[in-house]
Amino acid sequence: MIPPAPPHLSDPEARRGPDPMPLSGQAPDARLRHGLAGVIAQAITLWALMGGLALVGIVAVNVLSVAGGLTGHGFAGDFEVTELLAATAIFAFLPYAQLMRAHVAAEIFTARAGRRVQALATSIAGILGAVMAAVLIWRMAAGLADQRAYGAETAIMQLPIWWAYMPALISLALWVAAGVLTATESVREARDG
Amino acid sequence: MADPLGAGLAGLAALIVLIVLRLPVGYAMVLVGAGGIATVMGPNVLLAQLKTLMFGQFASYDLSVIPMFLLMGALAAHAGFSRDLFRAANAWLGGLRGGSAMAAIAACAGFGAVSGSSLATASTMGRVALPELLRARYDAGLATGTLAAGGVLGILIPPSVVLILYAVLVEANVVTMFAAALVPGLLAVVAFLGVIALYVARHPTAGPATGRATPAERRAASLGVLPVIGIFALVLGGIYGGLFNPTPAAAIGVFLTGLAGLVMGRLSRASLRAAVLETAATTGMIFVILFGAELLKIFLARVRLPQIAAEWMLASGLEPFMVLLVMLGILIVLGCLLDSLSMILLVIPFLWPVMVALNGGVLQGAEGAGFGMSTEDLKIWFGILALIVVELGLITPPVGMNVFVIASMARDIPMARIFRGTAPFFVAELGRVALLLAAPGVVLWLPRWLAG
Repeated sequence: MIPPAPPHLSDPEARRGPDPMPLSGQAPDARLRHGLAGVIAQAITLWALMGGLALVGIVAVNVLSVAGGLTGHGFAGDFEVTELLAATAIFAFLPYAQLMRAHVAAEIFTARAGRRVQALATSIAGILGAVMAAVLIWRMAAGLADQRAYGAETAIMQLPIWWAYMPALISLALWVAAGVLTATESVREARDG
Repeated sequence: MADPLGAGLAGLAALIVLIVLRLPVGYAMVLVGAGGIATVMGPNVLLAQLKTLMFGQFASYDLSVIPMFLLMGALAAHAGFSRDLFRAANAWLGGLRGGSAMAAIAACAGFGAVSGSSLATASTMGRVALPELLRARYDAGLATGTLAAGGVLGILIPPSVVLILYAVLVEANVVTMFAAALVPGLLAVVAFLGVIALYVARHPTAGPATGRATPAERRAASLGVLPVIGIFALVLGGIYGGLFNPTPAAAIGVFLTGLAGLVMGRLSRASLRAAVLETAATTGMIFVILFGAELLKIFLARVRLPQIAAEWMLASGLEPFMVLLVMLGILIVLGCLLDSLSMILLVIPFLWPVMVALNGGVLQGAEGAGFGMSTEDLKIWFGILALIVVELGLITPPVGMNVFVIASMARDIPMARIFRGTAPFFVAELGRVALLLAAPGVVLWLPRWLAG
């Protein structure tokens, strides 16, 4: 017994949001936007690629650490460098996830509600993301100041923790921009039906 | 706040409403968690928490494996290792009736061993194998059903993102969980192959045999999968054998996958860029949900909601085993509505304390326990059961994500036909759950053996 899928679900192209795992790299891309929106989208994409570099950094540190361990040249800081780079990378991915509307939502309940309502929900999500990121900028700036004032450092290599807060704050600022951008686009979609 | 329990229930109600209204699950969790903390513990507590909570959570050695395993899967897909896997399996199995579908299942299992995601496995293998199955005049329902179901192997066979999150939530050892998932995962492969064999036995025209490969073709195709198999053996073998932690193992996996792709000339700059950006979108999505789950955890722990639910269950006098069945039923139903990731992060914090209470407490040994096993073993067993049932939602209506992914590649095959194609696999999965319920040893054997 299989109920017919609602019209939105039976046509995957009509579903909101990008392919959850686009493989072609041709999904909605920064290159499709123009003017200020295009610049913002480009910046967010570039920043995500920088986050990718931080991820490659984690890979390098851990591979070198294993290789070093095998040859008797192990070093002790791999753990904490991994942690700081992980935070840097993950924060850098947040604006891109918002830009691509990658956040999963339960679409089933509103599947019959019409595209206008759905676009409205997406724009509210964008605004909410922007507000969350803005609050986090305010709080994490205070967090940075705290870490700096306490002189918090990693245990072995004595890397100041507040250093890693700085790229995170830039990520949050781009998240605000991504939220506003996707919200405006969704409002336009809702208006144009 | 005078009534913490009331606040907790109100928070849960708000969460459900926000999710139904199509707010992203992660955002809804952040909003309700933060709102709940501010209401019950005061706004200043929330503001102080937000200074370092998110950074502290993301700067995690253990969680860094999630973006790395995602990147490894994306690189493997872009480098075309998925195609190699299918070709090799098909060279061996294609001569049988239904053999190409069996090859697709085997390739999904192989790809699942480098990928931690169901959707990635379904979309990668679907792109590779679906055209070949349809060209071989396979029944459309069997072909699409096989690939939608095969995608589930991405998560059932370690490494698995959902399993990592479960381990973090219940404070289990990731390596133990990976070890526990292996035998049930291989059982799923066997069961899926059996489903295809039965299907083509009853409908001989559904899965015609393709031409037999020559020994030379077999040899060439088999050599083609050596890189993937080598990487898989090193990464998972290294983890199981205690050579390295999951974090360096994942790093080595990314390094070797990328290196193999580059050396073989299969990764262009564009595909590297695409792999990183896919990783970025999925990682961002997962970590917002993780952050929301952390805020919710603080809020709910303060209002003691999970403990109250556990005490209530204990007082109800229901048999532990019955409660477990009900929980698995709830997870199957929820799986039809929510994605597996947010479901695990949302629901396990409630279900796990109930399981612990029913078993007799955190330190309960096997002797006299509600489930007849120590709570440490229960953690492993329950995790694997939960993992299987949350993934069932991917191949069942109405929101079977794997089915959508496959449907987007085969426009002329109606959705209902694909769901009908996945139905036999769904039945096989229920059989597997029943087996694991009856024989927990299937799950617990390998982790015990590895622990010595």
